[in-house]
Amino acid sequence: MDAYDEGSDARHRPDVPSRPAPPGERGAPAESAGPVEPSGPAGTHPLGEPRTGVAALSLRYRITVALALAVVAVGVCVHLGMTFLHVAPANTVTKAHGEAVDDWIYPEFEQNWKLFAPNPLQQNISIQVRAGVRGPEGMTSTTGWYDLSAEDGRAIDGNLLPSHTQQNELRRAWDFYVATHDSENRPVGLRGSLSESYLRRIMVLRLDRDHAVRAATGGAGVIERVQVRSRTSNVPPPRWSREKVSTTPSYRELPWWKVPQDEAAGGVR
Amino acid sequence: MNRLSMAVSGGIARVTEAALGPYQTAVIRIGFSATWLLFLLRELPHRHELYGPDGPWSWDLAQQLTASNGSFTTLMWSDGRVWFEIVYALAVLSSALLLLGWRTRTMSVLFMVGVLSLQNRSVFMGDGGDNVLHLMSVYLVFTRCAQVWSLDARRAERERAARARGERVTDRTGPALWGVLGAVLAAVTLVGRMQGDWLIPALLWTVWVALALWWLVGRRARTGEPRILLDVIGNVVHNGALLVIMAEACLIYATAGWYKVQGSRWQDGTAVYYPLHLEYFSPWPALADLLSASGTMVMLVTYGTVLVQVAFPFTLFNRRVKNVLLAVMMTEHAVIAVVLGLPFFSLAMIAADAVFLPTGFLRRLGGRATGVRDRLARRGGRASPPGQRARENPEAEHVGSGA
Repeated sequence: MDAYDEGSDARHRPDVPSRPAPPGERGAPAESAGPVEPSGPAGTHPLGEPRTGVAALSLRYRITVALALAVVAVGVCVHLGMTFLHVAPANTVTKAHGEAVDDWIYPEFEQNWKLFAPNPLQQNISIQVRAGVRGPEGMTSTTGWYDLSAEDGRAIDGNLLPSHTQQNELRRAWDFYVATHDSENRPVGLRGSLSESYLRRIMVLRLDRDHAVRAATGGAGVIERVQVRSRTSNVPPPRWSREKVSTTPSYRELPWWKVPQDEAAGGVR
Repeated sequence: MNRLSMAVSGGIARVTEAALGPYQTAVIRIGFSATWLLFLLRELPHRHELYGPDGPWSWDLAQQLTASNGSFTTLMWSDGRVWFEIVYALAVLSSALLLLGWRTRTMSVLFMVGVLSLQNRSVFMGDGGDNVLHLMSVYLVFTRCAQVWSLDARRAERERAARARGERVTDRTGPALWGVLGAVLAAVTLVGRMQGDWLIPALLWTVWVALALWWLVGRRARTGEPRILLDVIGNVVHNGALLVIMAEACLIYATAGWYKVQGSRWQDGTAVYYPLHLEYFSPWPALADLLSASGTMVMLVTYGTVLVQVAFPFTLFNRRVKNVLLAVMMTEHAVIAVVLGLPFFSLAMIAADAVFLPTGFLRRLGGRATGVRDRLARRGGRASPPGQRARENPEAEHVGSGA
């Protein structure tokens, strides 16, 4: 608590207005009208003698205070210990007691502070989509590729307050998809299938906003299926560096996904 | 040995006799609630897409995920649109009231419910800033964060003055608020909508019971002892939470720093160049180019960032160095807000940093803010009543944080 400079020291300083009645006297107004306990420099207190409201308590209550103090102290120590183990790299202790740590941390204390670490992302990952559209006469056609990340990038340009819908939605949905699929695009577990539905719904929403159907059919129509691909390109190295990296983008193309009929309208507009 | 026992008893006296850091806890209360409030207002047009039942992360998808991880969100209580609007509106309202410090303990609970409800509803919309708010909203519930700079502090002062004049003070709002929220809590629990992990529901009930106890003891027990006991426990819990908040801030910096040390780009001094050139984090490409025009500058900022983040927790042992670093970090976050387009993340981090600000500085800040407000009020044609002065006296508010 040393760090906590004046926050905790203030009341021991002579230049700070002294506090009114300490908690011990607050309950009994008659007493607090009298001279208040000295709150001069710390050294003037008779050492070892409690100066607090605790002093006014009978033994029964003091035991309760001690109990509360112990519970809080243990709680704080355990919580900080668990949080530390949660953010620390895998180690001897977490290998043995990882489950206990997870039980404590999840769901509400999950955290990740590897901000731009160990290395910042050095690639621009653009998510692109095209759709298979059925027109009014039953004609099907395929739209061109829409670069949704580029649209996000443009929305962020010159924006002092980028929205989470522009900055996080698609980017994190893609991270989620990649994290829950193998290299053959097979979903892993429940989260894998959730991430597919999520990505598909974002695609339909965005295509709808871009009026992709009208652009493809010239009028009405409905999105029947979508295909997503990612375009990954290295950020060109700084001009002042002698480093060379390939700037040829690489693509990851996902299979076509059927769009369920009730979803094709795009949900939120 | 004697020395040790004296140190221990001194420490115990300190953490039981007062809720430490009245200004620091008030400034983080204001900081976090303002960040969340501004975020909610900014996202007002996008709220359905982010958290609404028909958003891309649909209610159904969220249902499956929360059922599997047990996280707390009131938005899973119903998939209705009206319910969603109510929750969003209450989140806005509770953060505004927490900012002002009105019925602070209750508002801090509602604030937490709002933050968790929206964030847990759509976890994949968030970033580091949301993560900070998520944790801090839970920790704030345990603090007495309205001892200064709050409506509660003002109310407590007025009540004390009224009592000194021999008037009877009765509070109707507190019990009414308590009753309504208790009824909601009971109804939700009975209907069985309170699913998932036990932690947050247990916390809600605990606070509700504690508020009732506090009120009862304040009214009935004129002997003082039960009241002192609750007050001391309140102090202990507050001080524990304050320690957790400060340690959490240190963990954030330590993690961010120590993992960077291991990265090749942070080692070769080019790391800062890269985020500036990512599509999603470059709202001002020309500015980014300008900032990264010099390799030496980029390297200095890169090394400086790692140094500051790694060093910060250790500088807490030295006030002066800590304050310098604090200024550096707050400035860096302010720059990040604009340059990387992360305003709410930066605001949340600055709010977290503020817990380490020195009391003297915060008091001056408060004094200046009061001066500005009074001047505005006078220009507005009404003199501010004497009770509206910034509270110099941090002790007043236990009624506020308690009731």
